[in-house]
Amino acid sequence: MRFFLRIIKLSLLQQTTYRAALAAGLATNFVFGLLRAAVVAALYNSQETVNGLPLQAALTYIAIGQAMIAFLFLFGGYDLMMTVYSGSIAADLVRPVSIFTLWMGRDIGKALVNLVVRGLVLLLVFSLFYPLILPDSPAAWLWTVVSLLLAWLISYAWRFLINVTSFWTPDARGLGRAAFTASQVFSGFLIPLRLYPDWVGQLSQHTPFPAMFNTSLEVYLGLLQGPALWRALINQAAWALGLSLLCFLLLRLGLRRLVIQGG
Amino acid sequence: MAEIVRVRDLRKTFRVLDRRPGLSGSLLNLVAPRHHEIRAVEGVSFDLQPGDLVGYLGPNGAGKSTTIKVLTGLLVPSGGEVRARGMTPWAERERYVRGIGAVFGNRTTLWWDLPVIDSLELLEPMYEIPRERFTRNLKEFSELLDLGPFLDTPVRSLSLGQRMRADLCAALLHEPELVFLDEPTIGLDVVAKEAIRQFIRHVNRERGVTMLLTTHDLSDVERLCERVMILDHGRLLYDGTLLELNARFESNWTLKVDFDEEYRDASLPGLQPPLREGRQAIYSFDHRALPSAEVIQALLARFKIADLEVRRPPLEETIRRIYAQKLLLP
Amino acid sequence: MARSLRLYFRLLSIQLRSQMTFRISFWIDMLTTGLLNVSYFASTYLVLERFGNIAGWTIAELAFIYGMAEISFGLMDMIFSGFDPDWFSNFVRQGALDQLLLRPVNLFAQLFGSRFLLRRLGRILQGALVLAYAFANLPVAWTAPKLAYLPLVIISQIVAMGALFMMGSTLIIWTIQPIEAVNIITYGGVEMMSYPASIYSTWLRGLFTYLVPLVFLNYYPALFFLDRPDPLGFPVFAPFLAPAAAGVMLWLALRFWHFGLTHYQSTGT
Repeated sequence: MRFFLRIIKLSLLQQTTYRAALAAGLATNFVFGLLRAAVVAALYNSQETVNGLPLQAALTYIAIGQAMIAFLFLFGGYDLMMTVYSGSIAADLVRPVSIFTLWMGRDIGKALVNLVVRGLVLLLVFSLFYPLILPDSPAAWLWTVVSLLLAWLISYAWRFLINVTSFWTPDARGLGRAAFTASQVFSGFLIPLRLYPDWVGQLSQHTPFPAMFNTSLEVYLGLLQGPALWRALINQAAWALGLSLLCFLLLRLGLRRLVIQGG
Repeated sequence: MAEIVRVRDLRKTFRVLDRRPGLSGSLLNLVAPRHHEIRAVEGVSFDLQPGDLVGYLGPNGAGKSTTIKVLTGLLVPSGGEVRARGMTPWAERERYVRGIGAVFGNRTTLWWDLPVIDSLELLEPMYEIPRERFTRNLKEFSELLDLGPFLDTPVRSLSLGQRMRADLCAALLHEPELVFLDEPTIGLDVVAKEAIRQFIRHVNRERGVTMLLTTHDLSDVERLCERVMILDHGRLLYDGTLLELNARFESNWTLKVDFDEEYRDASLPGLQPPLREGRQAIYSFDHRALPSAEVIQALLARFKIADLEVRRPPLEETIRRIYAQKLLLP
Repeated sequence: MARSLRLYFRLLSIQLRSQMTFRISFWIDMLTTGLLNVSYFASTYLVLERFGNIAGWTIAELAFIYGMAEISFGLMDMIFSGFDPDWFSNFVRQGALDQLLLRPVNLFAQLFGSRFLLRRLGRILQGALVLAYAFANLPVAWTAPKLAYLPLVIISQIVAMGALFMMGSTLIIWTIQPIEAVNIITYGGVEMMSYPASIYSTWLRGLFTYLVPLVFLNYYPALFFLDRPDPLGFPVFAPFLAPAAAGVMLWLALRFWHFGLTHYQSTGT
């Protein structure tokens, strides 16, 4: 456990040295947030609410989306597969910790820095341009945090799964590009899922993607109450658990293959 | 005879930003940057005659690559006059570069993903080499450098030795009159080094190509160059023949002796006591003051000798002493 | 000049050959990139279906400016990939720029010829598809002047954004690392251009009108092509400023590049 914490701390410190990159990311997110918000506002025109999503909420959604991309790593990640291809994964395999846990620690470190530096700072900046909605009760805040943690876990497991395919194919990168695009579209990152035709929302329920993002935002915006809220959180927990188990399984199989093949 | 390279009082100073640590440092750097100067080259002058094969030596940071960059037209000097092939290198880049060649030990001039032959063929339109001259040169160099086995291999798959040979061929295909060799034997095994040296010597002798050779491997220099230039801290410390360099500075010779009998005291008057091990002794003496024949005669007069070996110091040691003791301070 | 062009095409053919040797993964790559971009448009399309229009622009009209921006950016990305700041910074750091300077060939021909990403075809094709959809569904009369001006606008867009790439790369001569601000202007710019400029706030629109004149490259010509009135009150000839805007940007980029190269040659990085 202490080892795990140490990994998180190391990763955190490492991230803080990439100051320029963090600032750059902030700026990019900010500008794209403004552009997307303009599109959504133009779409709404004079309508107040669309499919249960008020304009205010939609704009808040866009702002938080941009603030959270880094924390939730919505653009995906190719780090693990790069170490597989370069062979440097050997260094990790020697450690007495599961690769899944090891990378999770690293991810948490990065996620924390991204959350504070890009997430919260960006939110503050956005609030200067748009009136942002805030959760109205401590309970709402609590559920939001829980939901975001679950979302992060799902995102991590999904990225891990994609990267683990590198044990079998030399072109996991291409697979990654396709997979991460799917997650961007169906997680509601590009545009709130409620603004799509209903069939899109229904289709995406069969995938883990909405649980990676859209669900958490709806919790935050207070769109889900009572039984709907419970269902959403349980849904997220189920996906998180399911994907993680799948990760362990595939990792096991993949490592066995790696050891036999000799990488 | 008109020189092919003429350098007079070459000077190059770099202004480097003082890097301040931390976030406040970066901010400060933006508003009030501070610089310090690095004097890479300070008043270097020399000539190269057509057909010269000159070694250019110096410790790291001496200013060698800066000089080469100026001579290849990549860098504009801070002062001084440079004429090569009748032109000012950086001012007439495209025209100037057409008649020079360059080989770099640490990176290739060829296209990474292409087979060697494709890279070489690309040079034909690039340097506007007449077709039949190109074919002739390619054939000759290919044989001399034994490129045949890997002409179809992509450059990225070549071993270091193969890549170096390919680069050499590429540098000479367009028959330049002036060639710069920057560490051409670095990292190579003895056999490969010898092949490269032979090729360099052949091209220089047969085709009269003027060459400036930068290297840390002093055996390269001993095997190829009659003349050397030694650079340190941006200043030219020595420009002359190897022979003269040795005559002036190569002082520490050693004599290894195998005695026929056990001698308790094997010292010679006027000489440092030798290093002893059983019947062996190693004497050091200053060759400039004492020719080896005298030492040998003195030994033969005193002791019964079974075997005798005179050793000159390697060039490396001489040069090291020159760097370290700054023997050549102008 | 002719010699440089010939060499450029020769370098291009080398690029293409080496990219097409990885046969299967090349097609997969192109397919995935194309699908990627199609899905981006598809998501916009789906949302538009629900709303019917955006700022008074129909789906077909939006498809027009969206498709134009995509096609131009895809083409620019393919042709100017040697000047992509992210790649250029690696290039310079490895000392490869010096290698190019050691050859008796025009530097531009070599830089353009050093990278040509065929896989950008995916984005180009997607843009073409979207544009085709627009043409099929627009109730617009395509007169001769419009048809003549259309390719000119596309070329202007390619040149303008290529100029931005070039400026971003020139900065690297000083900064070594690519500056993210440039990415914001290029990738943010194409995103901005894909929608009617009237939806943006005044200062944001001002940024892309007066600082980086992208508004004149897609939005205004579109007003002309689609027979739409100008809600912003610009002069009547505004739609025809595209080539001029591109020309100015290119000129600035070339001067800046020349300045940067001189600096490079006096400091050697």
